[in-house]
Order: sequence, then structure tokens, then C-alpha cells
Amino acid sequence: MSETHALSALKCPLPASEPVLEEVAACHPQDLGAALGFALMRVGGDGQPDPRPCVLVAPKVWLRERGRPFAPGWSQKGGTLILVETMDEHQALWALEEALKSGAVSGAIGALAAPDFVATRRLDFAARAGRARAVVLRVGQTGGLSTARRRWQIAALASGAHALDARAPGPERLRASLIRRRDGAPGFWELEWDNERRAWLGSGARAKDHGQTHSLPVAARLANHGLATGKPRPAAA
Amino acid sequence: MNAAGRALGLYRGQTQADARARVPDLITAPADPAAEVAALTQLALWSERFSPAVAMETGPPGLEGLALDMTGAAHLFGGEAALIQTLEARLAKAGIPARAALADTLGAAWALARFGQGQRLAPEGGARLALADLPTEALRLAPEAVVLLRRFGLNAIGDLYALPRAGLARRFAAGKLAAGGLGLRVVERLDQALGFRSEPLVPVRAPPAYRAFQVFAEPVGDMAGLAHCLDGLVQALVDQLARDGRGARRLVLTGFRVDGGTTQIEAGLSAPLAQSAHFLRLLKNKGLEHLDLGFGIDALMLAAPVAEAIVLVQVGLEDKAAIADQGALAGLIDRLQARLGEGAVRMAKASGRWLPEHSQDWGPPVLGRAPEAFASEDRPRPILLFHPPEPVEAMAELPDAAPVRFIWRRVARRVVRAEGPERLGPEWWRQTADNHRPAPRTRDYYRIEDEAGHRYWLFREGLYEREDMGRLPNWWLHGVFA
Repeated sequence: MSETHALSALKCPLPASEPVLEEVAACHPQDLGAALGFALMRVGGDGQPDPRPCVLVAPKVWLRERGRPFAPGWSQKGGTLILVETMDEHQALWALEEALKSGAVSGAIGALAAPDFVATRRLDFAARAGRARAVVLRVGQTGGLSTARRRWQIAALASGAHALDARAPGPERLRASLIRRRDGAPGFWELEWDNERRAWLGSGARAKDHGQTHSLPVAARLANHGLATGKPRPAAA
Repeated sequence: MNAAGRALGLYRGQTQADARARVPDLITAPADPAAEVAALTQLALWSERFSPAVAMETGPPGLEGLALDMTGAAHLFGGEAALIQTLEARLAKAGIPARAALADTLGAAWALARFGQGQRLAPEGGARLALADLPTEALRLAPEAVVLLRRFGLNAIGDLYALPRAGLARRFAAGKLAAGGLGLRVVERLDQALGFRSEPLVPVRAPPAYRAFQVFAEPVGDMAGLAHCLDGLVQALVDQLARDGRGARRLVLTGFRVDGGTTQIEAGLSAPLAQSAHFLRLLKNKGLEHLDLGFGIDALMLAAPVAEAIVLVQVGLEDKAAIADQGALAGLIDRLQARLGEGAVRMAKASGRWLPEHSQDWGPPVLGRAPEAFASEDRPRPILLFHPPEPVEAMAELPDAAPVRFIWRRVARRVVRAEGPERLGPEWWRQTADNHRPAPRTRDYYRIEDEAGHRYWLFREGLYEREDMGRLPNWWLHGVFA
């Protein structure tokens, strides 16, 4: 994983992922794939590869409704996955906390609808105790109190240009908006999947590789004007 | 048939009409062999408190029994005579009429338990003497053989001792006289009873290699008392395992109830381990409250039926942290499985098949294995897969082209970009000739992006005109990309 390295060249890296609780929310249910891809980056090793596996905890209903992780696609985006299927959200919270504080996993993603304040606080403590990165993956509404250190909103963007075929979808792109954070100003990043480096890079990073000088990511300036949140798109008609 | 029935002169094998004629207000119930076997199994498990090897004899009707291998264990219960008394007293207390006997061989004990009038205990080497006066039925013979022996005037087992074996064997050869090929194995049965021929005992469940046992003076009926003595039990088991350098892969905690039943909880471990703290936590996670104590239990057994050698890893050469992580991961998986169920924690491995829904195999997690490469890793694959695929209504400009619009979950989406098809043929070598199920069809997969930037994996099942077979090709949504 070298995304931080690549972005630091642009003077505006994504905040490094630490063993704390973060929240990743998909703007719309259809953005869930992008949100999961982003969450995988947040729980995976940061800079140095982490040999520990990562865990996805999801209630049965969630897996039926939103789809099950597909290992061939998953292994392209992240490392080893352990899937924990629970009967309900209450069990999922318990399993997530247990996984985080065991110290055996590099990170854990919990697909939870609405964890309450106390639950998120417990998860944050567990993440720090077990040196594991925790992500609560949510869909749509992201209100409510939470102790998550960073709260992201993910929206899929039209993909980049395909190298060979103009009509085909190219590398995946997404907009990651940091709507709340404790340690700085919010902002948003536009990321593009680099299949060779196996990482989400700022869209500008690739442009720069091609000898152009785009000033991406665009977020930092806007963030100072309070325009940081991802603009909601009208639902597809 | 209960004691009251016997007192009225009824006997086994009597027709129901005869019995009713003698006792008009007789209460009868149809036989339920399955329930009888279940009850006997329950009793067999309970008997494991006396011996780890308990065999069950389900037939013939009326002669059911349990066989316990007490070799070297009788002294734990105050000697052989005391053992028989204890066993009978305990069963009588639980309302189960039973007769117990002890002898050198299974055959002799069987005979003494059912036909021994006063004597229930044959001392070592005393089976020959003890059996001499018993009727020949006590040899577990087929009814035909007993009748035949009677005709020769051989009523007691002792009468057979003096006869020449060759003649006896020839006359009662297996299968010669028996109607149903049952065999009249008189010599064989006699040898088994007297210990000249071995007879294996097939236990209801394999005796655990490692077990720790705790007997209570008074029946324990509350969880607090149980949890209290669990520590000692776990420690005893761990000591046994550690002595042999082995670790448990499965733990079974069995409580022996005073009413002749058992109650148990099981927990699996993902790596062989002998650590008391982990065992305790696992059993408590599993829920001691799932033990149904009934009127109280008077013994508790913790067994490790599956144990494997603990492979010690040389720490100096490998990464210390990685080994600690492995241990922690094994512990985590055990705890999650204990609470959520065996199948709740899974890991994918490539199955070598190309149809997407079959290309991954979600099985129990395997520790210490490098992640496997999936075959299609160079081609884009969705991150989430719907199984079964979700039906969509799609419109394509050409029969063999990517769709331009599709409706999924009641929302219409306009396709902006598409790539494909990637054609996956059905796995014809797995098909069976079955006319009722439609044959699987070719799939054309498209990677599709709609105007909002969402990326989907759609496929058309069937080729126009070539695979129609009375039904038009269908469109399905199989997954979503990042």
C-alpha cells in the first residue's frame, strides 16, 4: 500500500489511517461498492504491509440485501479476509469488538446500520487496545452521535479513461468526503484505483505521471470555505 | 410390560387379544422403537460416568442392555460388588428398573444380568462355574437353537461343557438349520461367554483420550456451584494434555444428572491448545446456562475427544510477533465460533471453478496460510456478489450487445459505458441428464457504468436464437464494483 506515499507528493495526503475508529458511509445504497473499496484501504496496512488478516463482520440480513464479499474481486482490493456472519446487529457489535481487541487482526469492518454512542466508544477503545483499524460501514443516513475519529462519505464517480476502449469503464473513481474529523479541517479527495500499485491514488497522481500538472486533489481550498461535504446527486431517474 | 402386568400372568410374545381376554382393562401402547433407542442412548451417555467405553444393545425386544467396560475401574467405586449395588441403586432412584451383573466376558455378564438368580457377580475366572446352572437361552442364541438344544435334553449351559466340541460345532453349524440364515452359533457363543473367543465392544461414542472427572457428594443444581468447580476440572484436563504435549481441538462438558440423563455443551478450537484460561473462557462463552441441570447433577466430566500434537514453533528463526498474532487469531476464531455457531466464521479459498458463484469456497478459516491467488485476478471482478443473482429488466440495441438501459430494484438506470461480453459457458461436465430441470445456458457478462458512476456486473443468460429453447434470454445483475 503506497497511497500515502503517492499523495504526500501532492502536499495533501489523506489522513493516515491509525488504529482508531472511523466511519465510512456510502452516500446512496449504490455507492456501497465504492465505500467498501475505500474502507478496505482504511483497514489495510498503512505504508508497511500488515500480515494480519482483516475481518468483515456483517449481519445475515445485510449480506442478503447488499451482497456477499466476492473473494476474486476482494483479493484485488485488499488482503486476506475473514468473514463473520452474525444473526443480528447486536451480535455483530460484540463480534466486532471482540475482533478488534484481540490484537490478531489488522483491521475490522463492521456493516452496521446505526451503532449508538456508547457502542462506538467501546469500539474505539477496543481498536486502540488491539492496534487494529476499525471502520463502521454505513449506508445513506449518517446522523447520530459517534466517537468515530473521522467520518467519511463516499460517492462513486464516473470512472477514468480506459486505456484501450473509450466506451468501456476505466479505473474506478470515487469521491471521499471527510465530513467530520477531530484533528483538522474537513475536505474531500477524488481517488482513482491504480491496478498496478493496487492502491487508491489521488486522481492527480496519475495525471502527474503523464506529465501534466493538474492541481488535484481539489479539496483543501474548498474545505476552508465550509463546502466540504460531497454534493448529493439526484437519484438516477 | 411392567411388574403389574407380569403379576397378572401376562408374558412377552402373548398376542394382544389373549392378554385382553385375561385382563379386560389392560392398557396397551404401540411400540416406538425409535424412542426406545433414543432413551437407551441417553442412558448409555449417562453410564459414561462409570466407564468411558459404553456399548448399547438395542435388541432383541425385551433384552436391551448396556455393556460397560469396567476393566481396571471397579476400585474407583468401592470394588465390584459395591459397583453393582451403586449402579442399581442409582438407576432405581431415577425410576429405571435395571439389573446389573459383572463378569470376565461380555457374554457371561449378559447371561448373569438376565438369568442369574442370586448371583450377579462372577469372580475372576469364575465364569464357567457361574454359568453352569443357567438356561441355554443365556448364551444369546437364536430361538431355533434353544429349541433344538432342548430336544437333545440340553437345558443348562453346564450340560454343554462335557460334550465334544467337534460334534457340537457340526450339528449347530452356522446357517445349516436356521431358517433365515441366522446361524446357530452355539460353540461361538459358548466360547465368547467363557472367554476363549474375543468379542469387541463397540462404544456409543469413542472414549475420549483425555478426560477430567469431578463427582459431587450432593447433587449440584445451580450454575454458581458449577462454575466454581469448573476451574479445577479444566486445570486437570490441561495437566493431562500438557503432560503428553498435546492440545485439544474439541471440548465436551458433560453433566450427569441424578435422573439418569446427561446434558452437555461442546466447543471447538481452531488450533490445538492446552491453556486453562482459554478453555474456561470458551466454555463460558458457549454458555453454561445451556446445560440443563434438571434436578441437579452429581458428576461433571470435561473431555477432549479430539486432541492433536502441539507443534512448537521455533521462535528464534521466525518473526516473534507473527507467531503471537497466530495464537491470538486462533483464540479469536474460537471465541467467535463458540458464541455465533460453527459456520459463522469463514474464509474464502479458490475452488477452481469459473462460474462466479462457485469460484470461491467459503470454509472454516485455515491459519497460517498465505492468501491464495484467484484465477481471474487480472480481470476486473466485483467486490460484492449477489447470490442468487438479481433479475433485471434490460434493453439492448442489438441482441448480442450490452444493454443501454436497465431496471434494478425498481430504479431505471441509463448505461453510459460498458465493457464486454466476457463469455462463461455452463459447466457441461457437471450436468446430469434431467429433463425436468432446464439446462444451464451460456452467460455473457458485461461491466457496466451508469450515468451516476455506479458500476455493475450484469449478465445475459442465454444466446438469442441459439439457446432459446422456448425461453428468451434473461438479464441478471450479479455484483457491484468498487
